[in-house]
Amino acid sequence: MLTRKSSTAGGNQRLRSTAARAAQTKLGDFARTMDRRAFLKRSGLVAGAGALATQLPYNMIGSADAADAANPPAGAGGTEIKRTVCTHCSVGCAVDAVVKNGVWVRQEPVFDSPINLGAHCAKGASVREHGHGDYRLKYPMKLVDGKYQKISWEQAMNEVSERLLKLRKEAGPDSVYWIGSSKHSNEQAYLLRKFVSFWGTNNCDHQARICHSTTVAGVANTWGYGAMTNSYNDMQNSKAMLFIGSNAAEAHPVSLLHVLHGKENGAKMIVVDPRFTRTAAKADIFSRIRSGTDIPFIWGMLYHIFKNGWEDKEYLKARVHGIDKVKEEIMKWTPDKVQDVTGIPEAEVYKIAETLAKNKPSTVVWCMGQTQHTVGNANVRAMCILQLVLGNVGVSGGGTNIFRGHDNVQGATDVGPNPDSLPGYYGLAAGSWKHWCAVWGVDYEWVKGRYASQAMMEKSGITVSRWIDGVLENNEAIDQDSNIKAVVYWGHAPNSQTRGLDMVEAMKALDTLVVIDPYPSATAAMSAMVRKEGVYLLPACTQFETSGSATASNRSLQWREKVIEPLFESKTDHTLMYAFAKKFGFEQALCKNIKVEKDKQGWDEPNVEDILREINRGTWTIGYTGQSPERLKLHMKNMHTFDVKTLRAKGGPCDGDYFGLPWPCYGSPELKHPGTPNLYDTSKHVMDGGGNFRANFGVEKDGVSLLAEDGSASKGADLQMGYPEFDHVLMKKLGWWDELTEDEKKLAEGKNWKTDRSGGIIRVVMKNHGCHPFGNAKARAVVWNFPDPVPLHREPMYSPRPDLVEKYPQPDDKKAFWRLPTLYKSLQTKVKDISKDYPLVMTSGRLVEYEGGGEETRSNPWLAELQQEMFAEVNPRDANNAGFRNNDYIWVETPTKAKLKVRAQVTERVAAGTVFLPFHFSGWWQGKDMLEYYPEGAAPIVRGESVNQATTYGYDSVTMMQETKTTLCRVSKA
Amino acid sequence: MARMKFLCDAERCIECNGCVTACKNEHEVPWGVNRRRVVTMNDGVPGERSISVSCMHCADAPCMAVCPTDCFYKTEEGVVLHDKDLCIGCGYCFFACPFGAPQFPNGPAAFGARGKMDKCTFCAGGPEADGSEEEFKKYGRNRLSEGKLPACAEMCSTKALLAGDSSVVSDIFRDRVLRRGKGAEAWGWSTAYGGGKQEQTRERKQERTQEQAQEGKQ
Amino acid sequence: MNTRILTLLAVAGTLGLAACGERPQIVEYKQGQYQGKADTRPWEGPAFKGDKVAWENALRNRNQSQNEYKRVE
Repeated sequence: MLTRKSSTAGGNQRLRSTAARAAQTKLGDFARTMDRRAFLKRSGLVAGAGALATQLPYNMIGSADAADAANPPAGAGGTEIKRTVCTHCSVGCAVDAVVKNGVWVRQEPVFDSPINLGAHCAKGASVREHGHGDYRLKYPMKLVDGKYQKISWEQAMNEVSERLLKLRKEAGPDSVYWIGSSKHSNEQAYLLRKFVSFWGTNNCDHQARICHSTTVAGVANTWGYGAMTNSYNDMQNSKAMLFIGSNAAEAHPVSLLHVLHGKENGAKMIVVDPRFTRTAAKADIFSRIRSGTDIPFIWGMLYHIFKNGWEDKEYLKARVHGIDKVKEEIMKWTPDKVQDVTGIPEAEVYKIAETLAKNKPSTVVWCMGQTQHTVGNANVRAMCILQLVLGNVGVSGGGTNIFRGHDNVQGATDVGPNPDSLPGYYGLAAGSWKHWCAVWGVDYEWVKGRYASQAMMEKSGITVSRWIDGVLENNEAIDQDSNIKAVVYWGHAPNSQTRGLDMVEAMKALDTLVVIDPYPSATAAMSAMVRKEGVYLLPACTQFETSGSATASNRSLQWREKVIEPLFESKTDHTLMYAFAKKFGFEQALCKNIKVEKDKQGWDEPNVEDILREINRGTWTIGYTGQSPERLKLHMKNMHTFDVKTLRAKGGPCDGDYFGLPWPCYGSPELKHPGTPNLYDTSKHVMDGGGNFRANFGVEKDGVSLLAEDGSASKGADLQMGYPEFDHVLMKKLGWWDELTEDEKKLAEGKNWKTDRSGGIIRVVMKNHGCHPFGNAKARAVVWNFPDPVPLHREPMYSPRPDLVEKYPQPDDKKAFWRLPTLYKSLQTKVKDISKDYPLVMTSGRLVEYEGGGEETRSNPWLAELQQEMFAEVNPRDANNAGFRNNDYIWVETPTKAKLKVRAQVTERVAAGTVFLPFHFSGWWQGKDMLEYYPEGAAPIVRGESVNQATTYGYDSVTMMQETKTTLCRVSKA
Repeated sequence: MARMKFLCDAERCIECNGCVTACKNEHEVPWGVNRRRVVTMNDGVPGERSISVSCMHCADAPCMAVCPTDCFYKTEEGVVLHDKDLCIGCGYCFFACPFGAPQFPNGPAAFGARGKMDKCTFCAGGPEADGSEEEFKKYGRNRLSEGKLPACAEMCSTKALLAGDSSVVSDIFRDRVLRRGKGAEAWGWSTAYGGGKQEQTRERKQERTQEQAQEGKQ
Repeated sequence: MNTRILTLLAVAGTLGLAACGERPQIVEYKQGQYQGKADTRPWEGPAFKGDKVAWENALRNRNQSQNEYKRVE
């Protein structure tokens, strides 16, 4: 197939449902315990099928339950305790599931977990409901004449694979878009990236794109790795903490256990947000910022820091490149300008800067309030610069504590379906492909043959935030042969992507839409609203019906045991990947090094431990190599031996390890690297989890060395100076080559530390010489390969301040950016004065009871009861001006012409001029309940307008992150 | 052993509703019945504070005093329980209770049978045999008899909600309050306790020394 | 909040009546004394079999899991 167009790779009193209207009625019997008969029916098992005992699960409370949870009595009365991890956020709270005769009967707190010490929020305390799953999709379904009908698995697999193969043949492999999931385990996420590669496209993505892609890109380009540098636990060591664009009390409630513990011991807690959040309610200092003006605020703080000489001069000199250039920009932001743009008075900015500077180590926390902007990549770099100037990075109690969202969004980012990279951030260059093909044991030429061309193989795919444009955009304007014609939603909500009105148009235009999910309902209903056929729903299992590892935000991996057998007719995701691979003819290649076993229904299931072992054998870049299944399982059994503040095991079988072997855990499992609790920490030896900034951007720029200054290497390193990353040449020059074994030399010859599959280079460099395999360089305050090398303030696309749009405009439009034309300045100019008609800033965020798109959590009656309606928070001033009162139905309208009918929550929580909407709702469309479009029995209990129907156009200039946090709206009484 | 008590630390409660769903989960409490709920004051403005509220297991419980069928009893540990077989669902206890703890469910579910009053049991079940199916259906699980404490407190996200022997609970809470080292910074502190941070720190140190000495003896 | 209380009151009122007469036994009311069936004490159940000291120790230990200072300094 021809390859045209660019040949370069990349591009590169809220409605707390106190009004219990719906409460008392037909919902009364929702939360009943299942009896065995009901369970058998749900689980798809037949009564009397062998091992199931005769007792009813009511009888579960025996003496066995009183025993120590850590030492479950073997098989006493059929009661087992399975240790798993909550699937609702990135904190990684451990859960003990009590299982009797195959039924999940109780949930017990795991006090031993060093991460959550038994604690749970509403979501974590209710995960056992997954063992009920009343509102799940129970069997495969197909849209026939606008209604969903039950079909068999055989029919579903046949029809779906035929349709996709036909498209592949006629329109090429890039015509199918694969949306993976941050709720897959590491093993599933990794297998999906491999699966998509063998299908022959980079058109795959997952939730990280729309939650922290700007963080990953911005932070990695600053100092090496794009992840949370420290941990939730380490915040106990902080003396001051700044939350900006993070409402941790609702989004990561159990993190507050560590935060409030820190506060109790004297740490100052600061929250900067457009809303007075529940996190703000706990803070010592709260400042209200105008949405989308983070950079002016951060520069405003740095202005005072530099003015008062609070910067860490030695640190900047030894470990940071380019700060002078950034300082020039910073000093332009005088307090009057900062106040005009951000709305924060000078005294407050000064006080926050002083608090962070004088209470060190101080840390910063950010979430989607920073990332989901057109300038997201620059926001996060400004935060990194703040921490570098204060000398807070690589320090316990400091760092950038970036709280991720989904339970395994970190892992799926690390090894999962990303459009711009193979697992482990290897990218898509030919060398990266050759590395992974060697790990997979497949022929590089064969994989290349699966793609449209080598150019397409090395070109980043379309992002999940823009798949709709991949369908709707003129074919001439897109940078691949065919438009997208089929989409596979494999564990991802549709209502989490912006421009919902356009999305239904895209859904309408597709040839085929496949949804693989335990709760596919939002996608199912939206598509059934506009289509008659061509939609397939396939029931997948939750993570409680399989085993596997998940990476929490602090980079720790935890192993989940399988709690129960798959419910209904659902299948585990990796089983389905294998089944599709079989249909597509590459199942042998997919599982070359992975055992395939029969599951209870006779399906082929790839062995999860084997998949992790393959990840271990390939992912050297970020140290996913030391976390063998055996080591992870040992950690889960010995949680009590880990210290809560340092996460390090004191004695016991895991002695010296950090909990969950937080990546990077370099080298083979045999090297026994303990994992890295705090990144870039030079006060520790590299074999104790120490490190330094990464040499990933060359050794010099414009004649200035990028390597760290003398004396700033990690403790005990043989090279106490800056040095480049290690490869076979450097090893030989230093005379270290002969420390490799003969076998290692064979694999390491011609390779660097990332591609040496023997692990020999890493072993010798770290163990024998105490050096860091990725070198020792300076962090970059100036990221010269980004559109704004020094972070610049740019007004949001839809700004309430036309005067500032002129001063701080968006950049020029882009042509082939992640394969799509992308608008910036032209659109901003066009809508510059639209705030006359849409005068209020519209922003969105989380609620503690729900997660993500919300279909799963809104289907859980224990959670749904707590938040029964979609609402908008409106300031009393705006409500009075618009003529409505608290609890009235109102219309929220945006420039897309979308109209959302929601309850008004009139509150001072938002400032006058700002409207806040939670983003977990779906199931209403422009004022109407979509119940009739749902597959029967699989609609969530609570439905409401999705805020993203109404969100507007706008994408980050590096990662294509969608703008959700600042747009405009107007409100009126409905 | 002293009396069983709940205590909710408003400085820590973040209104996450973990206690509410922990209770629902453990006892399979049906929709519409809230043995525990989180109450927020000054919602959305500085000074916002939340506490989790359920039956307080009063020493001199008004519900017991007014019940026309005398279906309430108090255990040796101070837990207020009732016999649903006697309850007539009149709601007089609901009048009397200062906390709105009694719930009057409707519907076919176990808890709702014939509109009998339902409330927090401190995870201590009811008069049926401990750990029996009968007890579970009427009152929920009996964690106390398993040597465990109420699920809501055990699962609280920030360990704001404490439950157990009141002397232990108050020790845990007092230690925290002292560590907060608010003293002069906390509104009303000097009026109530005199002194300031220094005195308080001294006090805390003394207390800790005593504690350590005691622990040493044990 | 008000709505909920009113709803609950209404429910309570109607159901109180409906509940009458379903049980055959007649209860004799004596003011101020518990009339229901006797309950066993928590340590008399199957888990502790009457060993009060063991039960108290179990609860005391368990209570400290609500105190993170026991694990963190």
